[in-house]
Amino acid sequence: MRNSFGIFLVFFTCLACYLLNAVPLDAVNMQSPLYRIQFGNINIGADNLSSEGAKLSITMGQLAAEEFETNGYIIKAGFQYIHSIIPFTFSVSNTNINLGTLTPNMPSTDSTTLTVSFGGAGRYSVTAIEEHALQLQSGLYKIDDTICDGGGNTCYEGLAKPWTSNNAYGFGYNMSGDDVPSDFINATYFRPFADKSQGESPVVVMESDNVGKRRQATATFKVNVSPVQAAGTYQTVINFVATPSY
Amino acid sequence: MQKHKLKIKNRKFLTFCFLVIILTFLFCVFNLGKVHAQQVTLSISPPLLETVIKPGKSIMIAYKIENLGDPVILRTKILPFEPQGELGGIKIKDEFEGPVRFSLDNANLQLDQPFFLKSRSSQQILLRIRIPEGAPRGDYYYTLLAETDPPPTTEGIMSSRTRTTIGTPILITVTDTGNVDINGRIGFFDVLPSYQLSLFGHHLRIFDSGDKIPVVAIVENTGGNLIKPRGEIVLRGNFGEKAKYNILPQNILSRSQRMLTATPSATVDCQENNKSKYCQRPISLLISGFFIGLYTLSTTIYFGEGSPNIYASTSFIAFPIKLLIGLGIVVIVTFIIVKRLRDIEE
Repeated sequence: MRNSFGIFLVFFTCLACYLLNAVPLDAVNMQSPLYRIQFGNINIGADNLSSEGAKLSITMGQLAAEEFETNGYIIKAGFQYIHSIIPFTFSVSNTNINLGTLTPNMPSTDSTTLTVSFGGAGRYSVTAIEEHALQLQSGLYKIDDTICDGGGNTCYEGLAKPWTSNNAYGFGYNMSGDDVPSDFINATYFRPFADKSQGESPVVVMESDNVGKRRQATATFKVNVSPVQAAGTYQTVINFVATPSY
Repeated sequence: MQKHKLKIKNRKFLTFCFLVIILTFLFCVFNLGKVHAQQVTLSISPPLLETVIKPGKSIMIAYKIENLGDPVILRTKILPFEPQGELGGIKIKDEFEGPVRFSLDNANLQLDQPFFLKSRSSQQILLRIRIPEGAPRGDYYYTLLAETDPPPTTEGIMSSRTRTTIGTPILITVTDTGNVDINGRIGFFDVLPSYQLSLFGHHLRIFDSGDKIPVVAIVENTGGNLIKPRGEIVLRGNFGEKAKYNILPQNILSRSQRMLTATPSATVDCQENNKSKYCQRPISLLISGFFIGLYTLSTTIYFGEGSPNIYASTSFIAFPIKLLIGLGIVVIVTFIIVKRLRDIEE
C-alpha cells in the first residue's frame, strides 16, 4: 500500500514537473463565432532557407499559385505573393532602465536595444522624447538634461558631444549600432532627450532609407549628479516611436 | 530473513524514488527560462494605407497588431502628421485635427482604450474611417499608433521607463468627383561633383574617371493631393553610350518635397565607411563606371495618366585626374633623377 502511494507520488511529481515545463503549441484556428471554414486551403509548409550566396523562401499547399495576366489586369495568386508583405516590427529589449543608486560625481549608465524590421521598400524612423526631466514624484526637484562637457563640447537635442567629465552633471543618452545619427561618433558622445513638457519635438534616433531586417541599435542612458542634488527617487518616461515612411 | 529482504527492497525502492525526484528537480531547475527585463516587440500591418474617399462615405480597414514580446497593455490612437524634411520623414502632431472621423468596429475595443495583449498573440483592429458630408476636398494624413503603457514605478530605484509606440501612416484623399489636383515640379536635379570650376558664368562639374557619380533629384508637390512620380534618369556620353535608371514610385505629400530614388544604383556601406563622401548626404542615384569626356544626365518625370511630363538635365566632365597627376609626378621625378645622374657623370 505504502509502495503504491510512493510510486503514485513519484509519477505525479514527475508528470507535474514535465507539464509545467511543456512548451505551448500553436494551432490553426479555423472557427470564429460568426464563421466556420471547412476544408480550407492551408499553407502546409513554409520556410526561409539560405546557403552561402543564395536565399530561398518556400510555401506549399496553395492551389493554382501563379501570376495571371490579361488585358489590363494582373493577378498574383498564391501565398508567396502575400509572403512579401512583411509587417513593420519594433522591439525594445528593456523597458525599465535601472540607473541604480547614484553617487555624486560617479556616472551611472544602463542601456536598451532597439530593433526594427521592415520588409517594405522604404524608409523608417524611430524618434525619442522624454515626458519631462528626471524628477521626484512630487516634482519638487529634478536632474537637468545634460549639456555634456560644456564649452566647446556643449551638446543639445540635435547634436551629440563628448561627455567624459565626472563634474558635468545631468541626464542624457548615447546611440550606437545600425542607422543611428552620425554625430554619435563613439561611446563618449551624448545628447539630452527632447523634453515634451518644454514643448520640444521628438528627435530621430534611428532612420534608414534601406529595406531593413533586424536593424539594431543600443541606447545607453547616463546620469551624473552633483553632491548638492536632493536625495530621492527620480524618474521619467521616454517614448520611443517607430514609424515606416509613406 | 524474509523481513530483512523486505527491508532491503524498501530501501532500494526509497533510493530509486529519491533519485527520480532529485533528477526531476534538477531537470526543472536547468530548464527554467532565464530571467530578463521586460521586452516589448510589436508588429503592425499593413505598414501604409492610401485611400481615396467621397464625402459622406466610410470604409473599414483591418489592421493586425502582433505582440512578439512579453505581455503588454496597449492602446491605439489616431494622430495627424505632417511631412518633415525631403526624405519622407513624418512629424506626428500632439492633438487630433481635421474633418475625418475614426472609430473601431471591434465590439470590445475603442480608440484610446487600454487592452491587454498576451505574448505571441495578435489583435485585429477594425478601423472605421468616415468622411462627413461637406468635408473639404483635399488630403489628410494620419498615423494609427499602438502604444504600450510604461512599466510601473519602483520606489527607491532611480529609473527611466520607456513607452514603446509603433505607427502606420494613413493617407486619405477626399474628393467629390474623383478628380485630384496633381501639380509637381523638379525642385533640384544635379550631380554632387568632386571638383567645381566656374568659367565664363558656367559651372563645370568635374569628376575623376574612376569616381562614382552621385545624383540628387528632388520633386516638389505644389498641388493639393499626393503624387507618385514615375520616370527615368538617362545618362548619355559623348561617344553615344546611354544608360537608363528607373525612378522608384514614392508618395510625395501635398505641399511638400521629396528626394527620389532611382535604380539600379551602386551602393556604399555607410555604416562601415561613414567618412566616405558618398555618405555625407542622401542621394537619389550613385552611378559607377569609368567615365571620360562630357556626359549629360537628364530626367523625365510624369505623375500618371493625363499629366504632362516634366524634364530637367545637367552635365559633367570626367577625366583621369588622379592618373594624370600620378603620371606628372612620375615624369617630374624621373626628369630630376636623370638630370642628377647626368650632373654626377659630368
